[in-house]
Amino acid sequence: MPPVIRFKNLTKKFGNLIAVDHLNLEIEEGEILGLLGPNGAGKTTAILMLATVIRPTEGTATVGEYDIRKNPDKVRGLLGIAFQEPKMLWVSTPWDIVNWHAKVCGLSTNERKKRVKEVLDAVDMWEPRHKNVHALSGGMRKRVEIAKILIQRPKVAIVDEPTAQIDIVGKHKIWNMLLELRDEGSTIILATNELYEADQLSDRVGIIHRGKLLVCDTPKKLKDSILGGDIIDVQFEKDAPAKIVEELKGFKEVVDILQVKPTNMRLYLNKVEEVIPKIMNFFAKKDMQITSMRMSEPSLDDVFAHCTGLTIEEAQKDRSE
Amino acid sequence: MNKLLLVVERDIRLFFQYKFLIIIRAIWFVSQIALFGLIASRMVYVQGIDYFRYYVAGLSVMTLYSAAVFIGFDIYEEAEHGVFEYLLSLPVSRRQLVLGRSIGGGLRSFIYVGPLIALSLYVIGSLNPLGFLIALFALFLFSFGVSGMSITIAVMIKSSDRFDILMGVLDALIVRLSTAMYPLAVVQAANPLYGGVASFNPVTFATDLFRWGAGVTLLDNPLLPLLGIVAFFSLFTLVGVILYEQHIEGGGWQ
Repeated sequence: MPPVIRFKNLTKKFGNLIAVDHLNLEIEEGEILGLLGPNGAGKTTAILMLATVIRPTEGTATVGEYDIRKNPDKVRGLLGIAFQEPKMLWVSTPWDIVNWHAKVCGLSTNERKKRVKEVLDAVDMWEPRHKNVHALSGGMRKRVEIAKILIQRPKVAIVDEPTAQIDIVGKHKIWNMLLELRDEGSTIILATNELYEADQLSDRVGIIHRGKLLVCDTPKKLKDSILGGDIIDVQFEKDAPAKIVEELKGFKEVVDILQVKPTNMRLYLNKVEEVIPKIMNFFAKKDMQITSMRMSEPSLDDVFAHCTGLTIEEAQKDRSE
Repeated sequence: MNKLLLVVERDIRLFFQYKFLIIIRAIWFVSQIALFGLIASRMVYVQGIDYFRYYVAGLSVMTLYSAAVFIGFDIYEEAEHGVFEYLLSLPVSRRQLVLGRSIGGGLRSFIYVGPLIALSLYVIGSLNPLGFLIALFALFLFSFGVSGMSITIAVMIKSSDRFDILMGVLDALIVRLSTAMYPLAVVQAANPLYGGVASFNPVTFATDLFRWGAGVTLLDNPLLPLLGIVAFFSLFTLVGVILYEQHIEGGGWQ
């Protein structure tokens, strides 16, 4: 089956800033594709171009058989988008917003009546359905935004940071709803800067940084792709001198070292069981007191750091400067 | 077609949610008639014209104009809250969106001003039913045209501060250089250039037709202002559609 979405050299420039830089990506029907990157990485710009809300500077994309430049109306007929910031006027009410959205998306009157209640119930917004938006909390507004896509059940659902500002119980509820939406046949693009969310929900994850797509694969393959798949986080009592890092790199099993803080070090290793005693001896000889040590498998955070040389927090700071 | 109607419906529903604004504007309208109109008509004498009735008819058109312009401010409100991007992402063509907004903006102002027009007619007294229906139709097109103009300017400028200032200046020029408050002969006498501008002003066309329909003044040829309004409506609706289709995109609004 051909991919349902194809990005072809999609580029957007705002003056001198290249927000999205020659994005090439294919998304299969029925998959959840996580676009992972810090704020300002270009995720939202890429999906707004796909939704035909903003125009590409260069390149194009197709949704189904339609090109976003040549058939924007047809493309919008296949897409639904839940924005990062809920898009609603203060005077509107959740019921008005979801009901009107359902009408525009072509739901019949009977179906609409039934589905508006179902969906608002599902996101816990039935009770306050007639309250003005200005009386709703940020989390409640976000749930109304999600309700729009749930009622629409589009062929391609784009969700931009769907669980930002939502408590942990609500997050799980929304994640389950997105999985149900996928099971009902929607292809989902999930733009997020939450690593756990991307890891748990996505069939494939694309890491985007400074407008460029760096890698895209299943979370497992991305993690396995890191040389030195085993990770040890070591916390020292005092700052670790720079020469320690250099000396540690002399061990053939040490693949990489990331100095997270002056007192914290992350070692990427091969054959952890063989190398651990050697490293412990090394630290003892250097008289470096260890306050804690933790072994873990790589996360998408590590994949991100591996690809960019930055943690996602650092990348976010780097982009906003 | 159905989607276009949904866009129209949305704009009408939104407008009537601004209850405070509607009430205040209605109070302003009544005050203008009961205070300014009544008092000013005692110091203005124009041969063959009852200035009080003349002013009340002009005030109705001015109120219709300011209500129809409101759609442009709505666009900024929507841009500020990101709703503009939401509307652009919907399965609605740009053409349906701009036409729907232009019609919605015009229709809602018409619905809003309707009771005020009825009040004006009560105050004015006389009525020629056929002429009045034609005048109403002209006002209908006028309000769509003003909405289209407001949308066109809002989309071109993309800055709420500049839009606010420009609409203030435009309001001053387009309303003051029209026959909304004074007869064309008086404007002409003040400055022939003013008279020239006022003769080709859509506010003049609308007020002249409304006064003619309401039996306040006579018109040699009602077809001319009617054609003027049709041209105004067509121009701004067309320009609005072209701008929307070719240039509109989310982001970059100030």
